[in-house]
Amino acid sequence: MSDDGGDANDAASFDDDPDEDMNMDDMGEEEADNEGEEGEGGDRVGDEIELLEDNDDAGEAVPVADRITTPYMTKYERARVLGTRALQISMNAPVLVELEGESDPLQIALKELRQRKIPITIRRFLPDGSFEDWNVDELIIPDEQNLLPREFEIDVTARSAPTFRPG
Amino acid sequence: MFFYIEMERDLLLLPQHFGPNINRYLRDKLIEKVEGSCSGRYGFIICVTEVKKIGKGRIREGAGLVTFPVKFGAVVFRPFKGEVLDAKVTVVNKLGFFAEVGPLSVFVSKYLIPTDMRFDPQSNPPSYVSQVSDEQPMRVTVASEVRLKLIGMRIDASEIFAIGSIKEDYLGVL
Repeated sequence: MSDDGGDANDAASFDDDPDEDMNMDDMGEEEADNEGEEGEGGDRVGDEIELLEDNDDAGEAVPVADRITTPYMTKYERARVLGTRALQISMNAPVLVELEGESDPLQIALKELRQRKIPITIRRFLPDGSFEDWNVDELIIPDEQNLLPREFEIDVTARSAPTFRPG
Repeated sequence: MFFYIEMERDLLLLPQHFGPNINRYLRDKLIEKVEGSCSGRYGFIICVTEVKKIGKGRIREGAGLVTFPVKFGAVVFRPFKGEVLDAKVTVVNKLGFFAEVGPLSVFVSKYLIPTDMRFDPQSNPPSYVSQVSDEQPMRVTVASEVRLKLIGMRIDASEIFAIGSIKEDYLGVL
């Protein structure tokens, strides 16, 4: 790829993402993926609130019925859940799916995600400090945007991205 | 004085301990971590009587580890200034003696021992003796039991040390 093309690419991905990147950062700092083992503790929402009150001035949990954020798992959530789960699997966490010879933690995590077996709750913080908890198994995971080979992703972006020219 | 209180602790759990037995594991870990420990605020935690609630865990960012907030009830021993306690003597020397009230170590200086009790370096182990008339002498030596009054305490974050006295009515060898 020429220098020019590369630049355009970078710019494009920059343009595309900052919003969502910010989200990501937020989550990185504050969001707690809650881990109850095998769905254990999935029913104990009350505790969380206290924990947070201790920690900082976080707001209240939004009741399950009143949640308003998207029912789709964002690609950032997906990445983080997969990463966290793969890390845990690599640290000898019990695997929750039948294995068919897989040995790569990330592959196992992917399989668990496909079968909605990942015992993690995603906590989405809202701007007012309150948060919604979504279990991985209640989120719609958008069509296997299954990890595409990197070149492919980049190529697609390059073709569809608006060229960025100052002035 | 003993109290029954409810406390909350965060327990850090490694991924390899996840699984069907996680609750039992957390309970064991709590007991191992907490029983026998000492905090300046609550005193010595003697015994965890029940685990009330194991809350939702929180994943540590980037580490895969999970912290669980655990609520439990425990019996604690918290000494107070002026409290009268029965103690067992552990060490005797010419400066005074050390005694133990369970996990609490108390020092009784010779200035806080009645003046008629003399240090007797000849005896083995050394002791404090008071010879009043020709009755059986009162002897404070290793392993004897004394009733003492706490007159001062140093409370650190994870340790309590106390100074005691037996120089008052009704205090002394039991």
